[in-house]
Amino acid sequence: MRPGFSPRGGRGGFGDRGGGRGGFRGGRGGGFRSPGGSDGGFRGRGGGGGFRGRGGPGRGGRGGGGRGGRGGFKGGKKVTVEPHRHEGVFICRGREDALVTKNLVPGESVYGEKRISVEDGELKVEYRAWNPFRSKLAAAILGGIDQIHIKPGAKVLYLGAASGTTVSHVSDIVGPDGLVYAVEFSHRSGRDLINVAKKRTNIIPVIEDARHPHKYRMLIGMVDVIFADVAQPDQSRIVALNAHNFLKNGGHFVISIKANCIDSTAAPEAVFASEVKKMQQENMKPQEQLTLEPYERDHAVVVGIYRPAPKQKK
Amino acid sequence: MLVLFETAAGYAVFKVLDEKKLQEVDSLWREFETPEKANKIVKLKHFEKFQDTTEALAASTALVEGKLSKNLKKILKKIVAKDAHEQLAIADAKLGGVIKDKLNLSCIHSPMVTELMRGIRSQIEGLITGLPSREMAAMCLGLAHSLSRYKLKFSPDKVDTMIVQAISLLDDLDKELNNYIMRCREWYGWHFPELGKIVTDNLTYCKCVRKVGDRRNFSTSDLSEVLPEEIEEDVKAAAEISMGTEVSEEDINNILHLCDQVIEISQYRTQLYDYLKNRMMAIAPNLTVMVGELVGARLIAHAGSLLNLAKHPASTVQILGAEKALFRALKTKRDTPKFGLIYHASLVGQTAAKNKGKISRMLAAKTALTIRYDALGEDSSAEMGAENRLKVETRLRHLEEKGIRRISGTGKALARADKYQHKSEVKVYDPSGDSTLPAVPKKRKIEEVEEEETQVTVKAKKIKVEIKEEADVEEGELVKKKKKKKEKKQRAEEEAALAEEPSTSTAVESTEKKKKKKKIKVEQED
Repeated sequence: MRPGFSPRGGRGGFGDRGGGRGGFRGGRGGGFRSPGGSDGGFRGRGGGGGFRGRGGPGRGGRGGGGRGGRGGFKGGKKVTVEPHRHEGVFICRGREDALVTKNLVPGESVYGEKRISVEDGELKVEYRAWNPFRSKLAAAILGGIDQIHIKPGAKVLYLGAASGTTVSHVSDIVGPDGLVYAVEFSHRSGRDLINVAKKRTNIIPVIEDARHPHKYRMLIGMVDVIFADVAQPDQSRIVALNAHNFLKNGGHFVISIKANCIDSTAAPEAVFASEVKKMQQENMKPQEQLTLEPYERDHAVVVGIYRPAPKQKK
Repeated sequence: MLVLFETAAGYAVFKVLDEKKLQEVDSLWREFETPEKANKIVKLKHFEKFQDTTEALAASTALVEGKLSKNLKKILKKIVAKDAHEQLAIADAKLGGVIKDKLNLSCIHSPMVTELMRGIRSQIEGLITGLPSREMAAMCLGLAHSLSRYKLKFSPDKVDTMIVQAISLLDDLDKELNNYIMRCREWYGWHFPELGKIVTDNLTYCKCVRKVGDRRNFSTSDLSEVLPEEIEEDVKAAAEISMGTEVSEEDINNILHLCDQVIEISQYRTQLYDYLKNRMMAIAPNLTVMVGELVGARLIAHAGSLLNLAKHPASTVQILGAEKALFRALKTKRDTPKFGLIYHASLVGQTAAKNKGKISRMLAAKTALTIRYDALGEDSSAEMGAENRLKVETRLRHLEEKGIRRISGTGKALARADKYQHKSEVKVYDPSGDSTLPAVPKKRKIEEVEEEETQVTVKAKKIKVEIKEEADVEEGELVKKKKKKKEKKQRAEEEAALAEEPSTSTAVESTEKKKKKKKIKVEQED
C-alpha cells in the first residue's frame, strides 16, 4: 500500500492517486478525512467536497465521504480567476497559477483533478484545474498557441478521446450549447468515456474506429473543429477522411503529432514537416505549428483551416 | 438521382432536382450554403422516422456492419416500386453492393456523392422539415449511448451499483429492525414484562405478540407454530400471574401494527440477503468463492465499485476498513493493523488468533488476484477462485500442522530442528571405552568378595534351606551373566538395605547370596 501520507496537507494516499505533477497535485483523497481536518479551504471551498475519493475517474460519490488533499493550494488562501485570451478558458491566480475551465457539472471531479470554487456575487462558480502534463491541448494553450478555435457553442469532433479527461475540459469550454463528438476505439477507455458522457450531455460517445468515418456517419453532424490526438502513423489520413466527411468548409483542425509514433528513426522536425506536407495535399491548410516543450517531448501541435473560403479578389 | 441519407432520427431519401450541378464537384458546396439554395438542388422525397431507440439501434448496428436493416429494406423496396430506373447515391460502397444484390437497385458512390453528402449534412435541418433540432439532438445522444453500450457488451447483470446499494440497504435495515424490535419489547413489556425474559429471540417475540395481542388471550390461544412446547407452557403460566398493567384495545392494536412492520421488514431482509447473494455470484463469482458474499459485497461497497477495488494492491485489500487504526498507527509510529474487513472472512475466522495475521495476508493476496480477474476478465467462471482458495487452505493447514518449511532460501527443505535433549537426564561416565584390552568378564574385586563372605556367614542357616530352589533357576550361563549384571546393581542396593534393615533379610537377598555362592563355586570349578 502506498502510504502517500503527508501529515501536513493530509493527502490520505490510499492506493491510486494522481501524485505530484508539475505545479498541480492530483489531490484526491482516499475515502477518509485528512487528519487535522483541514477544511478551511480557500475563500469559497477548496477541492474536497463532492468527490468521494474513488479511483480513476471518480464520479457519483458513493458511500463514505472523503476529503481530498489540497496539494499546492493551501487552505484559506484567496485566489482569483480571470479569463484567458482564449474564450472559455480561465487562469486561476494564487500562490501558484493554474489553467482552469468552468465546470459544467459542479461538484464532480472527472479524473481526480482539483476543483476551485469562487464566489461571484451570490453565485458560486466552480472551476476545474487543467493539467498540461496530461492534456496536449492544455500544453498547447500554455505554450502560447494563437488560436484553438474551440470556443463556447462550437461543435467539436474529438478523435482519440481515451478516457475522457481532456474531452471533459473541451466539454467545459464549449458549454451546454456546444457539442463534443468523442470518438474512441478502445473498449476499456470507452467504458470510462461513457461514464463521463453520462454526466455531461454535450458529449456524444462513439466507440468506433476513426479510420472508418462512414461507420458512424449516422451519429455525427457537421462540426466546426476537429481535434485529433490519435497517435497513429497514418493519422493525417484519418483526420483527412473525417474532415471530408464531417468538417464544414472553413472549419479548423487541431492535430497533435507525436514524432516517435509516425517515424521513430527520423528527426522530429522532419516528421512534423512531412506531416504538414501530407495535410496540404488533402486541402488542409496548416496555419501554425507549436512544440509542446516542456510538457511533452518530441510532440507538436498543428492548427490549420480546412477548405478556406477563396479570397475575394477586389 | 436519389440520395440515401441516414440520420439518428431516421432514414431520409432525397431526390436531386438539378443533376447538371452535380457535374461541377468542386463548386458543389456553393449550392449548400443556405437552406434555400439547398432546397433547390435536393428535395426530401421520403423520411422514415425511427419509432424508438431500439429500432434506431438496430439500424445503426446494421449500418456499422454494412448490412441492410429491415427498415431500410422496406424503404428501398418502395423506391424500387416507384423509381426503379433511378440511381441511388449512398455513402458506403459496401452497402451499395449489398443493395444492388438484394434489390437490384443501381447504386453509386463517388467523390461527387461524398460532396453531396457533405452538403446535405450541413443543411440537414433545413432539408428535413418537420423535425425540430432538439429532437434530432436528443435522438442522436440516445442512439450514441445505446450504440456504445451495445458495442461494449454492457450487461445489466454486471452492474456493481446494485451490490453497493444492496449492502448499504442491508445495514440500514438491520439498524432499523433493531430499533423497532427494542421499541416493541419495551412497549409490550409494559403490559407483559415476563414474555420478554422468556422469549429471547426477537422475531419469535413479535410473532407471539402478533398472534395473541392482549395478555388475557394467552391461555386460550395456540402458539405451537411459533413457540416450542415448554416455552409455551412457561409463557402461559407467566401470563396468568403477570405483574404488567392492563392496556386498552387501541393500544394493543398499535403494538400489533408495529409487530406487523417488524415481521415484514425481517422477511424483506432475508429476501434482500438472497438477492445480494445472487448478484454477488453473478457479478464477482471468484471473489464470492474466496471470502464469501457478505465480505465481498462490503469490500466492493467500501471501494466504491468493483473496478476501483481491482485497482487497489493486495496490501490495501488486507486493511480496507481499518483506515482509522491504520493512520493512527502510522502517525504515532506504532504497529499497523493486520486486517480490516477481511477479518470476517471464514478462512480468517476459523484460524487460531496467532495465525490470523498470516492468513489475512495470504488471503488478501489471492483475493486481490480474484478481484482483478472478476473486474477485468472476459469470462465469468468461478474456477480461478476455487483454485486460489484451495491454495490458501493448503497453506493454512501447513501453518497449523507446524510442518513449517524453511522460509528463506529455496523454501523447499523441511526445517530441521535439533534433537531435543532432556535437561534432567544425568549422564554417567561409561568407562567401558577406556581399555583397549579385549573384553573380559567382569572380575569382582577382592574386597567385594570378602564382604560377601562375611554376609554369607551371617545368614548361613537360611541359605542352606534355599539352595535347592536356586538349583532350578540357575541353568544357562546367560542367566548367570544376567544375574551377574543385576548383582552389581543389587549389590549397591543390598548394601544400602543391609545398612538400614539387617533384620529384614528377605528371601530375595538370601537367594542373591546363594547365587553368588553358586557362582563362586562355578568360578572355582572353571
